[in-house]
Amino acid sequence: MSTQSISTNSIWGGGSSPFKISYGKLMMWIFLLSDAFTFSSLLIGYGALRFSFPATENAPKIEVFENVQEMYAPKGEAIDHHVDYFIPAMRDMKVFTETQWPSPDLVFNHFPFLHGIHLPLFFVSLMTLILIFSSVTMVLAVEAGQRMSKSEVNKWLFWTILGGIAFLSCQAWEWTQFITAGATPWSNPFGPPTFAALFFLVTGFHGFHVFSGVVLNVVAYVNSLRGTYEERGHYEMIEKVGLYWHFVDLVWVFVFTFFYLI
Amino acid sequence: MSSHTNHNVDIHDEVNYDPTVWVPKAHSHGTKDIWVKFWILLGLTILDIILYFFMPPSFARNIIFIALGIVKAIYIVGTFMHMKHEKLGFATMIVLPMFFIIFFIAWMLYEGNFWGTI
Repeated sequence: MSTQSISTNSIWGGGSSPFKISYGKLMMWIFLLSDAFTFSSLLIGYGALRFSFPATENAPKIEVFENVQEMYAPKGEAIDHHVDYFIPAMRDMKVFTETQWPSPDLVFNHFPFLHGIHLPLFFVSLMTLILIFSSVTMVLAVEAGQRMSKSEVNKWLFWTILGGIAFLSCQAWEWTQFITAGATPWSNPFGPPTFAALFFLVTGFHGFHVFSGVVLNVVAYVNSLRGTYEERGHYEMIEKVGLYWHFVDLVWVFVFTFFYLI
Repeated sequence: MSSHTNHNVDIHDEVNYDPTVWVPKAHSHGTKDIWVKFWILLGLTILDIILYFFMPPSFARNIIFIALGIVKAIYIVGTFMHMKHEKLGFATMIVLPMFFIIFFIAWMLYEGNFWGTI
């Protein structure tokens, strides 16, 4: 009969944290790694399905718009993507067909208050900048927390929450544009239904993460205002919430790359 | 949420280690690095947009976009998520699995090209 004793003298013996990292932060990182797998699987699925369709080849970018303007639009009226003639015209010209993957710049080319002007990528670039900026305000809140500066943590967290809400509002507008054009998760006037299904799935899943991040930020903000972290003696909760928030930004970098740039 | 910390316990004490409350002592690395990385990320995003409008679509352009995405990811994870200040073993544990994903992406894009021909 031998009894095994666990030595706690070594760094891996259980008596200390070998990575010099707290339990909560370690678990947050492991959660983020598993979440990264989930998003990777979605983006890999997107890539594989997208390249199983031929790309739109007969759509020279801006010229298409001028052609449609001449051929289909009533005289003197600005071309509008979302009423009556744009989508039927594109279908007539075999630019939008069930078998061709639509060029994203013919689908996502709107900007608020600039109705009917072809502006591909501008709105989603604005969304990207909002999210990068809110990531910076978050890391400034974390840095302030490391110095135990309650007022600065509150200030930067407030801006981060505002950035998150701004991003979600932009995404709601983008979805509204796509839905009013007639897209649903099982049908898509721009091309194969798979395009719309994947768009709703991936940006929806990301948007839900942003929403959860805003909720977590609000909880941390209220706690910080009430002095919970000051009493606890450290602001590590801000770091953990911050890790989640940066992860959401990181995922958006790749959603932006795969959905809009490529 | 327990806001009533037992003030008799030193939360930073590595000898009387209590995993439920233990946290390493936090120290700031300043804000200069953060702003530098912000301008780099902004610049790379603008570079993305410039390439999008001024380089005709091609396989090479897609590779550049993905490469720029990975560079942005390195700055976000390294600086914003503090990974470059963590222990090497820990950073490896988190980052290494993501490298295998890159192979999977390349593989599935290649596969996707064949599905259309079946």
